[in-house]
Amino acid sequence: MVSTGRPLPGRVSAVSTALLLALLTGCGGGGGSDSSDAGAACRPSSGKVTLEYWSWVPGMDKAVALWNSQNPDIQVNVKTTPSGNAGTYQNLSNALKADKAPDLSQIEYDSLASFRIKNGLRDISGCPGVAEAKGTFIDWTWSQVDFGGAGADGVWAVPQDTGPMALFYRKDVFDQLGLSAPTTWAEYEAAARTIKAAGKGQSITHFSQTDPNWFTGLLWQNKAGMFQRNGDQWKVTIDRPESRQVADYWQHLIDDKLVATDLQGFSPALYKAWDSGEVVTWISAAWGYSTIRDNAPSTAGKWAVAPMPQWTKGAQAAGNWGGSTTAVLKGSKHPAEAAKFALWLNTDPKALEILNREGGLYPAASSGLQLPALQQPVSFYGGQKIFDVFAQASKGVDTGFTWGPTMTDTYRFLSDGAAKVAGGTGNLSDVLEQAQSQSVQSLHEQSLDVVG
Amino acid sequence: MTATLAPPAAARRPRLRAHAAPAGFLLPFLVPFTLFTLVPVGFAFWQSLHATRRSGGTFGRTESVFAGLDQYARVLSAPYFADSMLRVAAFAVVQIPVMLALATGLALLLDSAAARLRSFFRLVYFVPYGIPGVVAALMWAFLYDPRLSPIVHLLHSIGIDAAFLTPAGVLWSIGNVVTWTYTGYNMLVLYSALQAVPRDVCEAAKVDGAGQWAIALRIKLPMILPALVLTTVFSLIGTFQLFTEPQVFRQISTSVSSTFTPNLAAYSLTAGDRYGEAAAMSVLLASATFVLSFAFLRLTTRRQGRP
Repeated sequence: MVSTGRPLPGRVSAVSTALLLALLTGCGGGGGSDSSDAGAACRPSSGKVTLEYWSWVPGMDKAVALWNSQNPDIQVNVKTTPSGNAGTYQNLSNALKADKAPDLSQIEYDSLASFRIKNGLRDISGCPGVAEAKGTFIDWTWSQVDFGGAGADGVWAVPQDTGPMALFYRKDVFDQLGLSAPTTWAEYEAAARTIKAAGKGQSITHFSQTDPNWFTGLLWQNKAGMFQRNGDQWKVTIDRPESRQVADYWQHLIDDKLVATDLQGFSPALYKAWDSGEVVTWISAAWGYSTIRDNAPSTAGKWAVAPMPQWTKGAQAAGNWGGSTTAVLKGSKHPAEAAKFALWLNTDPKALEILNREGGLYPAASSGLQLPALQQPVSFYGGQKIFDVFAQASKGVDTGFTWGPTMTDTYRFLSDGAAKVAGGTGNLSDVLEQAQSQSVQSLHEQSLDVVG
Repeated sequence: MTATLAPPAAARRPRLRAHAAPAGFLLPFLVPFTLFTLVPVGFAFWQSLHATRRSGGTFGRTESVFAGLDQYARVLSAPYFADSMLRVAAFAVVQIPVMLALATGLALLLDSAAARLRSFFRLVYFVPYGIPGVVAALMWAFLYDPRLSPIVHLLHSIGIDAAFLTPAGVLWSIGNVVTWTYTGYNMLVLYSALQAVPRDVCEAAKVDGAGQWAIALRIKLPMILPALVLTTVFSLIGTFQLFTEPQVFRQISTSVSSTFTPNLAAYSLTAGDRYGEAAAMSVLLASATFVLSFAFLRLTTRRQGRP
């Protein structure tokens, strides 16, 4: 906002935007988390209720419109926001401090702990229908929202989707070069060399700096959990042999210029590179199928999906990238209605169908996996039944992965480090080492108990 | 009777007015200044002295406790502090002189007797300032992006590989955006100052045989020196608060870290809920800006031989 040469009196202030916000919001700190009584107080409101809801799922407005037409007494206003780490989480944090947060918001699993720690979530375990809903969701997604407490520790959101990862690749390009879908990372590197050697200016993929959670998905596949929680004690394990193996591999690809390092994730430039065939694979989550479909239209029919390459031949490990919940926020005056909507949104077959078709979501509800749409061939992917691959990947996701309570900071450290690597200075192993020590400091800053 | 009463009343009224009038004129400045500068800085200072403490485990109760200067120690020892401060300092040393030289040149051109279509050009130069900073940054981001930019393509076709967004290039690219945006604004301030230069002085110089160059250098420039000092101080303040351009460029360039400038660093800290540290960073930034602007003012007024 503030920049060179503006007149002093007209300028808003000499301090940062953030502090202005903090000023408007009153003091820091935050109150206690009275999880015990929150559930008991979750009673339906009387009369007509309007809920505000933040989400960045494409086509969410259509699902909400369906709800609104069926529930005249509980109207939902959906606001489309930027994706979580691209701004919504920051806005949400500030809104929580200002007591202006919406009733509901999309929050990814990895950030749920951060929001619970800042006392931003409402325990909905006592709201009608929530306890009964547990069995409708894939086990590990539910243990993310009750923080592994089997309900004793409250329920803090409703699972929405998951992001089992697989390999999206341009089948036509691979076929022309006589390549088949790589099953191991070694084969993936060999394919990268063949593609580069073909001399058409193509790269096997881009190394994304703006998507530290993509990199986390790669670590996840190799069982390189970044945090361990033992009661109230935290251990940071970002820098470990399993993560170094992943880092060294990608450093090697970068050093040999086998991947494009000047493309940011989800940028117009990347979409153009997909569309023109300059970048020919993307290791991404189930929801990524609509990202390619919507942004590289001229490549329709040319893509295919294969399982993620493995570190050990024959293994079936997959990473997970993203996946969200619908959380009811602390200040909501209508938690019962908000929880009711959240449950409907993520379990109703019609709603799930819309979210899958428009937003490419891969449902967290077990029943959602039976959706007719998920059994169909997808024409954009050459008529392949791509969701079979994701169903398989979903089974290969390590469910013991634990998120840290300060993921926003950890992602930032990884992202800054990766940016340097892409710029040609430093290497990914050092990035892990720095992210490790910086994250420890970050936990200390939140006065959390860190060991090791 | 009236004659004896009149003088005191008359004497009192101007005195009252003498107090009320300046206060009245100052009010429109003082109210927003207090609300939007003093109070936030004060609050930031208060916040910077506090830290988060937690009881009852990870998801337990949090409270804000007095931590003295802990947060300042944290900021001062963090590598991002020196890095970001030095970066904007380097930016200021290069960008401000270039921008003000351009602005002065344009102002003198407009002011010269030969200039035609004055008001048209005045508007043209000023237009970039009217474009919101985010929009300007987005527009330039498009022009810099190697895969999207027609300019990069054009340069490439004549054998120049422009790398606007590399670690070495990005600060220059940001400098270009800032210069583009604010040259016109500064030009207008300087041009207004030039309007106040008495025409008869210039006429006299002309009669004495001075050309346009001599008049510009020996008469006009010295007389608009206060305006140049003013624009320099504003630019210094603005530079140290650089935020919009780097924040927008982060979306397209791999070379802008989350702590690229001091303001961006404070912003990033709040995203991690480190409000105390962000506040300390902001107070240090505000102090640095204040000290630098003040020092520059002192230095230049002394040069001009004023107390």
